[in-house]
Amino acid sequence: MTVDWSWIGDHTDDLTSLTLSHLQAAMTAVFLGLVISLPLAVLAHRVRPLRGFLLGLSNVLFTIPSIAIFVLLLPVSGLTRTTTVIGLTVYTLVVLLRNTVEGLDSVPAKTKEAAKAMGTRPLRTLLTVEFPLALPVIFAGVRIATVMSISLVSVATYIGDGGLGQLFTDGFQRDFPTPVIVGVVLTILLAVVADALLVALQYVLTPWRRRRA
Amino acid sequence: MNRRTLLGGLLAAGSVTTLSACSSGITSLNESSGSTAGGGSSKGGITIGTANFTENQVLGYLYAAALRKAGVQVKVRPNLGTREIVIPALKAGDIDLLPEYQGALLNYLAPKDDSSEPGTMQNALTLALPAGLQVLPYGQAADSDCFVVTRATARKYGLTSLADLAKQNGRLVIGAAPEVKKRRVGAVGLQEVYGVEFKEFKSLDSDGPLVKGALKKGDVDVANLFTTDTDIAANGWVVLADPKNLIPSQHIVPLIADRKADDTVRKALARLGNILTTEQLTQLNSQVDNDKKDPEDVADAYAKQHGLA
Amino acid sequence: MFELIKNLGTWLTSASQWAGQDGIAHRLTEHLQYSLLATLIAAAIGLPVGLLIGHTGKGAFLAINLASFGRALPTVGLVVLVFLAGGLSMLPVYVALVALAVPAIVTNTYAGMTAVDPDVRDAARGQGMRGHQVLLQVELPLALPLIMTGLRLALIQVVATATIAAYVSFGGLGRYVFDGLAQRDLVQVLGGAVLVALVAVVLDLLLSTLQRFLFLPHSRLRSSGGTPTRTA
Repeated sequence: MTVDWSWIGDHTDDLTSLTLSHLQAAMTAVFLGLVISLPLAVLAHRVRPLRGFLLGLSNVLFTIPSIAIFVLLLPVSGLTRTTTVIGLTVYTLVVLLRNTVEGLDSVPAKTKEAAKAMGTRPLRTLLTVEFPLALPVIFAGVRIATVMSISLVSVATYIGDGGLGQLFTDGFQRDFPTPVIVGVVLTILLAVVADALLVALQYVLTPWRRRRA
Repeated sequence: MNRRTLLGGLLAAGSVTTLSACSSGITSLNESSGSTAGGGSSKGGITIGTANFTENQVLGYLYAAALRKAGVQVKVRPNLGTREIVIPALKAGDIDLLPEYQGALLNYLAPKDDSSEPGTMQNALTLALPAGLQVLPYGQAADSDCFVVTRATARKYGLTSLADLAKQNGRLVIGAAPEVKKRRVGAVGLQEVYGVEFKEFKSLDSDGPLVKGALKKGDVDVANLFTTDTDIAANGWVVLADPKNLIPSQHIVPLIADRKADDTVRKALARLGNILTTEQLTQLNSQVDNDKKDPEDVADAYAKQHGLA
Repeated sequence: MFELIKNLGTWLTSASQWAGQDGIAHRLTEHLQYSLLATLIAAAIGLPVGLLIGHTGKGAFLAINLASFGRALPTVGLVVLVFLAGGLSMLPVYVALVALAVPAIVTNTYAGMTAVDPDVRDAARGQGMRGHQVLLQVELPLALPLIMTGLRLALIQVVATATIAAYVSFGGLGRYVFDGLAQRDLVQVLGGAVLVALVAVVLDLLLSTLQRFLFLPHSRLRSSGGTPTRTA
């Protein structure tokens, strides 16, 4: 199996736009996942009976093959980017919900009591005490969700989207390894770079943790 | 339709970035699919969708080249899936134009219709199509489904026509794309018209590496391929005759949304249809499958050579 | 929607749907076979590696970052790549599934080993136990709960991902998903998806029951065991 380097040279424009499209799908899904999972996680953290239900439901959703989710969305959103994004968001939800709940759980009860004793209102406590302290665990979830989504985008190639995943079906159809190799390498690179950027972002966002390290 | 637009809008609003129309195969959420009154206009650009096999990509890019030459803005979305998937997408407005095949399309829309002559088929298609879609004049190039066996299999079971398959009922394995199991030009029609019962139906791909590989290896006895595939002759495979005309004539025909069908588009595609021959299309397919050239490059080179680009 | 669910009921319960080559019983067996074999191979690779890293402390960086790498691997690409390199066989499917499962196993095995109290380890050494005795008689039993969690995680991921076998002409429950896509038969797709989810949930339940039964005395070492991932 050899790499046809000239093919890569001839397709830099295509590869760039596929990479951007790939990244866009993954990032949108993680963003939407965060928007949905943060309030749900607070709910699950506060209301015990809901917690089991929400976490259980998201765990079951996680066991459904992603191709099936994309196909089942076809009557709703058709062969569009929307289908890809909804499908990916479902999977990010599982990771983000679980980590955010665990993060909120990890905040010591004493800290919360102290905030209460100082007369801090619950919402303020949540935003200024609990979330910041839960941030490392939430961030771990965001990193996992991001890397996972970047890998998962390519499955949407079965419904005509999928960013770099389109290189897989293309190479498969004409028995041509170069696009497939390029697609795999770019996907992994994208994931590694995105993960590194998130680590850097976390470093910036949680200055109080640096002293300990 | 309303629900879809609403959902798309919500998502677009919620996403960090607005999706821009990039190159091939990238969906844009911003594209509205509102229909225009009257004859339709290609002004807003045309999105060409293609099914999941080589020739359909080649045709899609040929359409693109011809339309671009006529000044129409085009975007190609390759490899969207089977007819069962792309036609609903065309109805929904996700795409505007598809390279189609007369007989197969008619079978999909009106399985009972037994028109076989290209002219009558064109009329039947016009009647059978749902509101909002139309076929443009068919081209001279044609590509039919066919069922092939290796020479050794043909000799072993004495197979020359589809009718012979019934003598081996319960013994042979057929390999084809999964959708062929439910199609008339496929397992259904072979059973109805020729009384053929296979031992097993193996879900593979549309004239791709899986079905051809399986035929070579002997994993399947009968394979569903396309007549425009040079591999059939190259491997000495035997195309089974169709004495009862199960497989209809399959001239290539553009299927387009009414709202995009203006004179510019009609003329450009008609010109391509008049120039492209079956032999040429067969060669273009082979350049992609065997020489590993990109469908887009192959189509562009052809268009240039024939004054279409 | 209601129609879809009603039809799903019919699909799942009709006798003809269960029988034959393309019947649920056969596809279910294939799916279990792919998933269990892949997880076993992954365990045969991942367990020794994780134990060794945990025991020697060498390669910890690898153990921690392998999980992230495993998450990044695009399964569809991997399957196609191995197919193009080696031709049509189950190899591409197993390579992809094993590649998905090994990181979860290595990372959790390593985590289990690091969770072993160093004092316990020292005490074992002080009693004159040799390296391999410490590993097999002290560290391994103590790390087992987390190792089991890793295996569970790996198996769940593999069950959902084994759907991909159908993309390269093989069977399993993915057959319904890919055939249903090609035929735009959503009932079939939903049926396949529900069955895959059911298999995953039942296997997870079985393993977690086994885990609870086996490790009741060490229950304080039980943990949520890391986040699952999906690459297909």
